[in-house]
Amino acid sequence: MGQPRPVSHRTELVSYPKKLEGIIGLFESLPEEERRGLLIDYAEGAARCQPREGEAFDLEDIRKDEECTDTVGVFLKVDDEERAHFRIALGPQVQTLTKAMTSILCKGLENCTLPEIFDLPADFVPKIVGGQLVRIRSQTVYYILTRIKSICKVYMNRQRAARLTA
Amino acid sequence: MNDPKQYAHPEVLVSADWLAEHGNEVRIIESNEDVLLYDTGHIPGAVHIDWREDLQDHVIRDYISPEAFAAMCERNGIAPDTTCVFYGDKSNWWACYALWAFRLFGHEKVKILNGGRDKWIAEGRPLTREKPSYPHAKYPAPARRHDDDIRAFYDEALAHSRAKKPMVDVRSPGEYKGDITHMPEYPQEGVLRGGHIPGAKSVPWKRAANDDGTFKSAEDLRKIYEGEIGLKKEDDIVAYCRIGERSSHTWFVLSYLLGYPTVRNYDGSWTEWGNRVRSPIERS
Repeated sequence: MGQPRPVSHRTELVSYPKKLEGIIGLFESLPEEERRGLLIDYAEGAARCQPREGEAFDLEDIRKDEECTDTVGVFLKVDDEERAHFRIALGPQVQTLTKAMTSILCKGLENCTLPEIFDLPADFVPKIVGGQLVRIRSQTVYYILTRIKSICKVYMNRQRAARLTA
Repeated sequence: MNDPKQYAHPEVLVSADWLAEHGNEVRIIESNEDVLLYDTGHIPGAVHIDWREDLQDHVIRDYISPEAFAAMCERNGIAPDTTCVFYGDKSNWWACYALWAFRLFGHEKVKILNGGRDKWIAEGRPLTREKPSYPHAKYPAPARRHDDDIRAFYDEALAHSRAKKPMVDVRSPGEYKGDITHMPEYPQEGVLRGGHIPGAKSVPWKRAANDDGTFKSAEDLRKIYEGEIGLKKEDDIVAYCRIGERSSHTWFVLSYLLGYPTVRNYDGSWTEWGNRVRSPIERS
């Protein structure tokens, strides 16, 4: 009779896109105060995520909806290797956390494939902003990720429909 | 021209000029909807009090205990005789909410920076990221919370409605009519039914504010609350919104600027009323 097989307690390890993983790791290494400071640094960089003059996009989704206090425009460009590039335009009333997540996700998801982004679990968000901020402002922290996934889904559906009708 | 002396309690409103001159004699408190806004820069010397993290119980839907309030004051260098000047984003919604919460615990020396954070910035006044540190103050735990005086609970709001006493719904017209269950462009925070409390009159909070976030003149306020919906000084009034923040703004206007002695904020507001089984609802 052989040894009983050990019970596996292994949970499935999620691997995040490399750039995003780097950002997550950095935030996780910081105490709360410094984490907030880094969020503000990222928030201040949100203006650099805006579309630039002359840029063309494959899909644009500009909305002012109930989950955000001001207009948010998400612009998607998919390159020849099927990798995504995002620009995001924010209205002036958008909250600081939303600005920070804009910067983080534009940087962290740069060059990812659309399925990678679409399948990305949202569990990294609390690792970045910290459990305390998620608890007290839960509606705010996931908004930009939801919008990015939404535009990816629309793009993929359109591509699928185009393939079916071709 | 707005003459502050026309307000019932003009001393509760301070200007940026006044604060710049007297900032060292008071405790300046920033309270915002945007949880990181204080960290991006605040009025020099201001401490941060978050409506949810600092003022609300983390488990039960209620406010903190008198002991927790005293501890919060002590770590922010606030003693019972400290004058607290509140300001914040969103035309001082959360500043009024924090002020109301301080009044719940009997803290009497309270003021609002007229125009709030946006006006201070618009006037080109300084902000800092430096977080102040004040000597630990001594704040004995208040003997009680003044819920009976300035706060209404569901049963009281229901009795108020049945007795056809004055009730002000300060939400947006769409929320009042029942077309939507949250303010435009804001999260739907789990309300199952739309409409308003039977008998409540609609006066959106925003009507009490000018475009720069300052409060309207006493004359204009009287036209709205007395002229349009017939409130009288001797009335027993309940104000509500969705979670009690916008109605804190109206509570402040009615209590301090117009001087009505009996105004209560129903902080359970629509997120309680609109979810409660069999609570009566009107739509129009």
